[in-house]
Amino acid sequence: METAALIQTLSDPLGLPFYPQVFAALMVLTFALHIAFVNLAVGTTALALWGFVRGTPEWKTLAGASAKAATASVSGAIVLGVAPLLFVQTLYDPFWYASNLLSAAWVIGFVFVMMAAYGASYLFLGGGRAGAAFGAAALLLYLGAGSLMHAFSMQALAPEKWLGWYAGAGTAATSGTALHAFEPLRFLHFLVPAGTAAGLYLLLRAWYLRARPDMDREALGRSAKLGAGLAFWATAAQALVGFAWLLTVPQALAFYAHPAFLAALAAGLALVAYLGKLALLDADPAGAAVPAAGGTLGVILAMAAAREALRGALLGRFGFSIAAHRVTVDWGSTALFLATFALGGSVLAWVLTLAFQAGRVEGRFTPGPRVAAWGRVSLGLLAGWLLVVAGYGLSVTLRARGL
Amino acid sequence: MYPIWEVPHLTAGMVLGLIATFHILPSHLSVSAMWLNVWLERKAVLEGRPELMPFVRRYAKFILVFCYVFGSLSGVGIWFAATAASPRGISALIHNFVWGWATEWVFFLIEVSGIFVYAYTFDKLDERTHLRLGLVFAAASWLTMVVIVGILTFMMTPGAWNTTGAFFDGFFNQSYWPQLFFRTTSMFSIAAVYAVVVAAREPAGPARDFVVRAAGLWGLAGLALAAPCLLWYRASLPEAVRGTLDALLTPGLKAAMLWAPVVTALYFAGLAWRPRAARFVPALAAVAVLFAGIFAFERARELGRKPWVLPGYMVSSGFVVGDLPAKGAAAQLPRLASEGVLASAPFVPAGLRTVTDLNRVEAGRMVALLECSACHTLDKAGVRPLPALVRRVGLSTPEDLAAWLDGLGAYPYMPPFIGNDADKRALAAFLAKAAE
Ligand code: HEC
Repeated sequence: METAALIQTLSDPLGLPFYPQVFAALMVLTFALHIAFVNLAVGTTALALWGFVRGTPEWKTLAGASAKAATASVSGAIVLGVAPLLFVQTLYDPFWYASNLLSAAWVIGFVFVMMAAYGASYLFLGGGRAGAAFGAAALLLYLGAGSLMHAFSMQALAPEKWLGWYAGAGTAATSGTALHAFEPLRFLHFLVPAGTAAGLYLLLRAWYLRARPDMDREALGRSAKLGAGLAFWATAAQALVGFAWLLTVPQALAFYAHPAFLAALAAGLALVAYLGKLALLDADPAGAAVPAAGGTLGVILAMAAAREALRGALLGRFGFSIAAHRVTVDWGSTALFLATFALGGSVLAWVLTLAFQAGRVEGRFTPGPRVAAWGRVSLGLLAGWLLVVAGYGLSVTLRARGL
Repeated sequence: MYPIWEVPHLTAGMVLGLIATFHILPSHLSVSAMWLNVWLERKAVLEGRPELMPFVRRYAKFILVFCYVFGSLSGVGIWFAATAASPRGISALIHNFVWGWATEWVFFLIEVSGIFVYAYTFDKLDERTHLRLGLVFAAASWLTMVVIVGILTFMMTPGAWNTTGAFFDGFFNQSYWPQLFFRTTSMFSIAAVYAVVVAAREPAGPARDFVVRAAGLWGLAGLALAAPCLLWYRASLPEAVRGTLDALLTPGLKAAMLWAPVVTALYFAGLAWRPRAARFVPALAAVAVLFAGIFAFERARELGRKPWVLPGYMVSSGFVVGDLPAKGAAAQLPRLASEGVLASAPFVPAGLRTVTDLNRVEAGRMVALLECSACHTLDKAGVRPLPALVRRVGLSTPEDLAAWLDGLGAYPYMPPFIGNDADKRALAAFLAKAAE
């Protein structure tokens, strides 16, 4: 079977309930956030281990904070990973499912690797030598989980090889225990930014905590310097890895001249320069923590968009385009999501605001009148959501019964 | 028609079942626990009973680690396992319900950030704000259930969706409300069972007694309300599903569904009567009993669905057998009956596309992988092993088995045979050989 025909046969006949570009935009956005948290999780875990090895009181404090940040980052990475997982199956179903089924045992294994890793992250918090051993195990397991995801993604990009992998030996290889594709440079390109993330974590932490009088400002200043250096060198290394990886992309696609790639490249180099200034010239890098983190997020977003463009180009070789999905617009469910997204975003922002404000003061924090009112509104929004959805549901039910 | 994943003795479907079963424990807890916790915290704050707070804190930490490490990941695990077991099924669901899942995801985001902030700010936030945060978490968590029940019930009773293809017609289907009420009422009993596990390790005293007695009463109330909802739910199921259930429900599952609630009710009554007697090990045993009950219910729900993943549209093996003109999707059945499954399924070794005398048994095994392995292992032992079941039917020649395959769809729980004559004779040859 021709690869193009194979993809056609596999494509889900039900089409999409809304325009593919909207799903693609949501996928890029959520993937960028997901990978940022993945890097944060790996980076803070590694940083905590390093702090444990150094062992001075100052490093111990950093290690403890960093290990705790890692547990929250992993949760963030998991929730934020669910969304792109959903959208990739919506837009690229043949590729994702074929790749998953070819390595199904590993797909299931991924979940258990993550459970073990995350469990180990919590045990890391226990401290001591045993704790550090769990921390090291967690780090290795996270890298293992990342390698698996990377392999699934790479397999998805090679539809011309699927049949050979599955049935090349004359019988169907149904064990799902093989992994078929791995591109070390691309994987490294996802991994090196963990250093950037760890550096930014130190910067942000110093910026956040120095508002508190009970904190040691000098120690925070030192950790900010360290963070700026880490962020800069890791990001510079990331640029080099990126160039090396570019050589592995099929030349025929001329991806190096693709506008999405060029935009990401320009943004990335600008970030390197900015972080270089912070690390090498600034006396007080913590003051620039927020723009540094924001700029990095922007670069990650540009890179995620470029990654999407590359996927489009790679799969376009087989005549596949997400724009060709058949769309039967379902306004009801689209409105449900968009409204929930807006309303839920507000509730989420309230929760995060509380955490942000409370952590910045000593002792108990009482929110100001605006944030307090926002809290009441949040509950109201959730109740309102329920009323509207349940009311609509009731009307659908009554209609179905002919009432 | 994706590659098949064969799990020795188990089937991929059973791997899905096992992960989903484990997921029951943390997922139901996360939805329910905070209601009880917030109620207790409210008592502590508004009625000035700070002695209740140690329990509230501990319960929150327990929820954080148990639900949001193992719960979140096993939830993702269900998704991966469903992919591995039935890629076409999950694909069809997602292409219908992508916005539904995305909506649930928004609440999931609130849940995850909410529990972290809640669990870590007992000493950092003023009491009323903290209480409100707990309430927001509880609401968001329950709303994930309001959404997911629409998709779960759709898989059994798709309602008018088969004709309209519209999201809400499938979502608010005939078993939606009963199942939502059933899960909502029974979740209070689930919260109660777990609460006693946590409370049993608190130091003895009036605070502990209060929590345990409250849990007992909450649990009893949950069960009392859930019982009529379950009957309502049962009544909402189509005749065909009830027939399938009658055929497939084992005595063990029936017993678990009957006795788990009875035993749990007695346990709750005992706790309410003598809270001081609560102990850790019996509390864990109660979790096991609860688990048996929920497992049986979820298992029955899965069995009742056979042979469908999406009733009227797609069967467990992933073949589309019903048209859905609203979305321009047509049944694959007629085409496969003429062209053949081996000849047209994408993932078939080249040497098996055409059946010959030499490759017939091997080609038949391929047909079995494509059409039967969703529910049967091809090994000698394990989950509904084909060799043993074929022996049970009592036919041994390929000719007799081919004739028997013509009537496969007459079993309430199996899809019809799909494919042409060459496919069928190959499968029959394989079955005959396997049963030897
Ligand atoms: C949707 C799931 C499903 C699929 C697909 C399926 N079966 Fe079954 N099959 C069942 C169930 C459930 C039973 C009942 C098992 C029991 O009684 O223990 C069963 C029973 C059987 C039996 C024993 C029947 C009897 O009268 O005792 C045979 C033989 C059998 N299946 C063969 C097949 C073959 C061959 C295929 C593929 C063409 C197939 N099944 C596909 C679910 C399925």
